[in-house]
Amino acid sequence: MSAFTAFFKKEVLENLRNGKLIILGILSFALGIMNPAIAKLTPWLLDLLSEQLAGSGMIVTDVPVNALTAWTQFFKNIPIALIVFVFLYSSTLTGEYETGTLVLILTKGLSRYQVLLAKFGTMLILWSSAYWLCFGITYAYTAYFWDNSIAVGRFSAAIHWWLFGVFVVALMILFSTLSKQYSGVLLGTGGSVLALYLLGFLPKIANYTPTALMHSTALLAGAESADDYRKTIVVTALISIACICTSIPVFNKKQL
Amino acid sequence: MSEMEILTISNLQKRFGEKQVLRGLNLSVPEHSVFGFVGRNGAGKTTAMKAVLGLLRTDGGEIRVAGEKVLYGQTATNRYIGYLPDVPEFYSFMTAHEYLKLCGESLGMNRHAIDQRSTQLLSLVGLSAEKHRIKGYSRGMKQRLGIAQALLARPKLLICDEPTSALDPIGRKDILDILLAVKDETTVLFSTHILSDVERICTDVALLHNGQIAMQGSVDLLKRTRRPEAFTVEMTDHHAAVHLANAFCDARPTEQDTLVFSGGEMQMFAVLDFIQRNKLSIRRIERSEASLESLFMEVLKK
Repeated sequence: MSAFTAFFKKEVLENLRNGKLIILGILSFALGIMNPAIAKLTPWLLDLLSEQLAGSGMIVTDVPVNALTAWTQFFKNIPIALIVFVFLYSSTLTGEYETGTLVLILTKGLSRYQVLLAKFGTMLILWSSAYWLCFGITYAYTAYFWDNSIAVGRFSAAIHWWLFGVFVVALMILFSTLSKQYSGVLLGTGGSVLALYLLGFLPKIANYTPTALMHSTALLAGAESADDYRKTIVVTALISIACICTSIPVFNKKQL
Repeated sequence: MSEMEILTISNLQKRFGEKQVLRGLNLSVPEHSVFGFVGRNGAGKTTAMKAVLGLLRTDGGEIRVAGEKVLYGQTATNRYIGYLPDVPEFYSFMTAHEYLKLCGESLGMNRHAIDQRSTQLLSLVGLSAEKHRIKGYSRGMKQRLGIAQALLARPKLLICDEPTSALDPIGRKDILDILLAVKDETTVLFSTHILSDVERICTDVALLHNGQIAMQGSVDLLKRTRRPEAFTVEMTDHHAAVHLANAFCDARPTEQDTLVFSGGEMQMFAVLDFIQRNKLSIRRIERSEASLESLFMEVLKK
């Protein structure tokens, strides 16, 4: 256990010193502020453009903005955070393969599965912290302008999207053990998500694809309830666990 | 216990695709030796060492460290070994102290032992004053830190892969001095293609050629048994030298008043007899020392 803790501490120190933690923090903070701010500014922006729009035959009427607009912005912007996260952390293992830093530590008796779990744990904590920080700021700032309660499904929708992020992290870990290169992890993760997204168009399995967790509009407005997503949640959790379970034996046999 | 083997390799085989790198390598490293593992670039030294560490899947043969069998992917036998790869890479965002702490904790050492040992080792390798992060280290400094991390758990066997190859003469001397300094507490096995390094510090040596050990043994013994059949006689004056050269047709003048004779012991007695009978005055007579280089060249030519 002490070996695992040691490697975990190294991961944390690395994130503190290489600036990735700061990037994630700033991004979460900025997005959190932006979501309600954009909602608040929309009428003003449209008003500003109304003359131009009128010239092209469009008439701007009063646009109603409320908490729902802010939360819609949240779910529109959070993919940016996830994409940045994927780009930042796809090299978490491949970077170590390339430099050869793992060899020395592994010859010290640290087990490979401990390395993998420490990496997974760190990424999970980072993703969760960044995500819920963004959520918290959006929540507080939206509450300042409007009444949050009209976005009925805000909590379930947020939990779904967070879980989707966890699923992507599990994919990144799996592809980090399968591929030797950064690009391999990016392509593998991105390709898998794209494939699932396309599969989601088939009505029969739409509810079973993890990408369904990204649908938030109906939940927010209360047109759907969290119960409708139970199958999706179970399937996503199972695939994530399967990814981690597969990555351990793959990593154990990997030539470093 | 004195003649125990810390590492034995028998009939080790390894191929990479079409290329058979190791063809039945046999090697035994006695405890408390400084063992030079010599071979040309690409001879398979690194491959053999990685196999010893269980980092490489082998195609046959057996490796034992301190009597225990080495298994691929397993790290059990590595508790006896400290390893320094040819180009050691550390987490560059850490300081030397932080890195040794990470290593110590991975090894399961307690905090007090880690602190004490790190301080001791960093002073041994001359890095105790270094407070910067590893990012700014030179190659020589990285090698020295590499030795420190390898020795952290007081291993029975220290394996260094080409520790001096990429260094300038001063850096090389530093590393060799450190290796000499630690030979009392551990067995040192290091690979190299620099023979003068071997002559400087090794007690034992093995030559890897064509995937096999072409020659192995104690450095002294090898030099003694493989002594070339030759000796040098230096005369005090030119006249005596000419006299002697005329008497023996195999005498080859090299420097002024110096003759080299190719021939064994009997030939030397004959020459000495001639010198004594003719009352010739000699400055010195010397049996030629075999250099490892000439020995190895001889073996490689066969």
